[in-house]
Amino acid sequence: MKSPRRVRWVEWALLAAALAIPPINWFWMRMDPAGAHDFVGPLRQVLIYAVLALGLNIVTGFTGLLHLGMAAFMAVGAYAYGILTCEIYPFQLSFWPALGASALIGTVAGLLLGAPTMALRGDYLAIVTLGFGEIVQDVLKNLDDITQGTQGINPLPGPVVPGYAFNSQNAMPWYYLYLGILVLVVVGCRNLEWSRPGRAWLAIRVDELAARCMGIPVVRQKMLAFAAGAALAAIAGAMMASMLTSTGEPANYDFQVSILALCIVIVGGMGSITGVLVGAVAMIGFANVLLPMLAGQLQARGLVSQANVFGNPNNWKYLIFGLVLVLMMRFRPQGLLPRAGAARAAGKSP
Amino acid sequence: MPMASDAGMSPELATFLNFLVIGLSNGMIIALIAIGYTMVYGIIELINFAHGDLCTLGAFLALTLIGALGLGDWSGPWAWAAVTLLLVGAAGFCAALNWGIDRAAYRPLRSAPKLTLLVTAIGISFVLVNLALFWGGLPMEVFGGGNQASAPKNFPELVPTTNLLGSESRVSITPRDLLVAAVTLPLMVALTWLVRFTRLGTSMRAVAQNPTAASLMGIDVDRVIGASFMIGGALGGFGIVVYAIYNGSISFQMGYRTGMDAFTAAVLGGIGSLPGAVLGGLLIGLLRAMSDGYLEARWTPSVVFIVLILVLIFRPSGLLGARVREKV
Amino acid sequence: MKRSVSMLVVGAAALSAAACEKSPDAATGSPSKVLKLVSSLPRTGSANAQTTTMVNGIRMAIDEVGGKIDDWTIVYEDMDDASPQRGNWDPAVETQNAQKSAADRTVVGYIGTFNSGASKISMPILNSAGLPMVSPANTWPGLTKPGLGEANEPMSYRPTGSINYFRVVPTDDMQGKAAAEWARELGVSSVYILHDRELYGKGIADFFKRECEGLGIKVHGFEGIDPKASNYKSLVVKMQALSPDLVYFGGTTQNNAGQIAKDMRAAGMQAKFMVPDGCFEKAFIEAAGADNVNGNTYVTFGGLPAKELTGKGAAFREAYVKQYQQEPEAYAVYGYEAARVMIDAMKRAATKDRAGILKALAATKDFDGALGRWSFDENGDTTNRIMSGNMVKDGEFVFVKKLGG
Repeated sequence: MKSPRRVRWVEWALLAAALAIPPINWFWMRMDPAGAHDFVGPLRQVLIYAVLALGLNIVTGFTGLLHLGMAAFMAVGAYAYGILTCEIYPFQLSFWPALGASALIGTVAGLLLGAPTMALRGDYLAIVTLGFGEIVQDVLKNLDDITQGTQGINPLPGPVVPGYAFNSQNAMPWYYLYLGILVLVVVGCRNLEWSRPGRAWLAIRVDELAARCMGIPVVRQKMLAFAAGAALAAIAGAMMASMLTSTGEPANYDFQVSILALCIVIVGGMGSITGVLVGAVAMIGFANVLLPMLAGQLQARGLVSQANVFGNPNNWKYLIFGLVLVLMMRFRPQGLLPRAGAARAAGKSP
Repeated sequence: MPMASDAGMSPELATFLNFLVIGLSNGMIIALIAIGYTMVYGIIELINFAHGDLCTLGAFLALTLIGALGLGDWSGPWAWAAVTLLLVGAAGFCAALNWGIDRAAYRPLRSAPKLTLLVTAIGISFVLVNLALFWGGLPMEVFGGGNQASAPKNFPELVPTTNLLGSESRVSITPRDLLVAAVTLPLMVALTWLVRFTRLGTSMRAVAQNPTAASLMGIDVDRVIGASFMIGGALGGFGIVVYAIYNGSISFQMGYRTGMDAFTAAVLGGIGSLPGAVLGGLLIGLLRAMSDGYLEARWTPSVVFIVLILVLIFRPSGLLGARVREKV
Repeated sequence: MKRSVSMLVVGAAALSAAACEKSPDAATGSPSKVLKLVSSLPRTGSANAQTTTMVNGIRMAIDEVGGKIDDWTIVYEDMDDASPQRGNWDPAVETQNAQKSAADRTVVGYIGTFNSGASKISMPILNSAGLPMVSPANTWPGLTKPGLGEANEPMSYRPTGSINYFRVVPTDDMQGKAAAEWARELGVSSVYILHDRELYGKGIADFFKRECEGLGIKVHGFEGIDPKASNYKSLVVKMQALSPDLVYFGGTTQNNAGQIAKDMRAAGMQAKFMVPDGCFEKAFIEAAGADNVNGNTYVTFGGLPAKELTGKGAAFREAYVKQYQQEPEAYAVYGYEAARVMIDAMKRAATKDRAGILKALAATKDFDGALGRWSFDENGDTTNRIMSGNMVKDGEFVFVKKLGG
């Protein structure tokens, strides 16, 4: 089955824009060093969140399991990357092996959580994943002999590519590398979508009972979805840690991040890969790129004062965010770019 | 006060009894808020993410009332009048607000998939948190002049913390503990009566069972759902005022942890079940108190969730929950 | 700067259009006479009250020289390193601020950060760019001092091997020590130590514990709390059973310091309560309720409160009150001092670029500042060692004595 033409078109347009932004931005910065803004650095977050949201999309979008603890696996990935690469630990792997190992460790963590809980249904599973997210944060904080607690593990090395050394001052190479990783993840997800497990997930999502009757090993397939999602979240975590050159604090991977990922998936269009990409651009682009820039601009012009809670545009973010979500669900509940055939499945989704 | 009879009590036992009192008081507060989750879930299968934050606004209203009416200076029997005023005020406010939110945001989505509803609730929760942040920035004395909107706010001592068992006693029960019980227990009884024996309660149970059938029987489903939101909101309002008085401070982010505890309680007890929410609330309160006391405070949130996960593994529908019926 | 409203349109076309229109501006070369000073502090969320007064201090320092050094104009940008999601500093935002400043060649000074964790992330970036950095508030010793933090600290923050980071506040090891010594003077023989599990709170609690053990003060317990918990009543019962003379909380107002004080007093616990400078703000007293902290709560601070400052410091306070109609919070003077030492280095710099200013900054000796006369030592730390012990009386912080020194 192929995606409709419209979706394909959007995907190529996104890719073209993504490829074109850095040179344009570079040109702008050269022309006007004082007034120009660096989009490229902040936009890396969009790429990272897109990977995270694609992971969640497998669990929630494809398989229909509500997952509220995606950030936990991101944390697992980030800390695995940190421990495997940082100079204060004995492993000191480089970027690529560490990225692979993080994905593997994320998968294992996903299976560990999934194994005992896959029998739970719907909202009970949701709260278990939510609880898991809290537990992971606490464990990372409390086992400070291993994880450095809230110190964060740093410095962490950047990616290595033959013939080029990444440095944190130049965001453009990171951007393209991360874009490359994202493209690979998108291709992988696309293949997964219509693979044997992908079709099993769809069946489970549409009607679990019927899927079971058809002989689909429901629990095993759900675990697989869980593990795949966790692996992608862990990759996102490793990407984040590498970009920040630090794992940051465990609190960076809190419930808000899980919720943000969920919002990306739902605003973009549940189960739709292109939709998730659009969702990531819209949500993270707004929250992490546009809003801080707007705040900076208003402030530079002396139009607002940070001294008062109402004066800082950042303080309005949740209000805007919340209203957008509510209105979106009211008037376009299927998401910006719904999955092909979603209408068929939507009525029966759990 | 009567008993100084605990002189012979071992310190360990006294400490344990203290944990017990603290755990039960906290548990009852959690239970009141948990009911808001479980009622809504029982009827429309929505995890109402905004409930904790709705309660937060109730607490901010209470503090505003204190500032505007000078309730902090009322003493003696007047202090109890002030408490009553706050309870009623916050409950009414939360009930109205929750009804309004349902009317404006959830009602148009009755036939939408559950996740749509859930995301709406998350959106509402964001809006409410943001409003609470702004509310704390109002230039009022009780909000510290509004200079630091996000800092925790002191909630005046309307109810004293003297030990009713006498200052000599090693076990402490304070008027605040009594307040918690005095608000919670009658509300539980009233709620049980309402759900079991009134026409509205019957309608609610019918809608929970099967909304379509209920509407065919002439029940105004939207009205019943609205009523559930009102009742859940009102209990949340009572709960949060008791919380504020018991703990003595509020903050715009309190809805997150309070809501999380309450929601966990509801799930632990079996979401959709009213006695389950109460049982779950008490258990979580006790668990937190014991974990703080006998383990380390830093592991307490994990302990709560690990117990929850274990309970769900062995009883997938919670302690008192009915086996989930497949809605096809 | 006039036309950049267009950047709000995230379209590649709009961007390139703006770029083309602006090119003549750049050609005239006027920006080359600009010295840009930026600060990166958490302006959203819990630390806002403290950072607002710091930024006020920075602005005052710039206004003092009329915003000019010879024919160079000082341009200041107040960047926010917090995000509303976190209500606190956000590593991604701090990274962006550092990268943006590093890339903008007109930026010659970076004042920040507030949280030590944020500096851990921005220091290597700014170090590679050779951009001078002065922190008005970081207290984690490992940022500058070898042997007190991780094995790879502080060298991991200096990829170029040279120092670009300086700070005007004494570090946690010194404050922890001063706090423990003060506790002993107060006749404390046993303590129970709590912390909020954050870098700052746990760090200072660790040093406090170490010093207490060295001084022979019995440590009954050392325990992290859940800063989001609704109350700590059972924890208080547990502490009560051990009856320590003093409860120490390493943490901040935002992480529930007030609630601990409240629960201690509600349970009738008589022990003294001591907190570090993360609670040295009015919000702490407001959150705890003045009645709960009056006369029994001790606050250490890595400097002198504004009212105790003399000379330039006193003049600063006076000017601050005049301009902003309120008393500066404790940290205001550090923002002021950080900006002043930076401007002083700009003045002295032989060449008005990053390298020249960095060289001048590192050579700062016997600086006649608001905090007294001090220098930067070989690690980039201030030689100023004066700290203060304060108490809460009648709902206000009251200076008790100088510590350390």
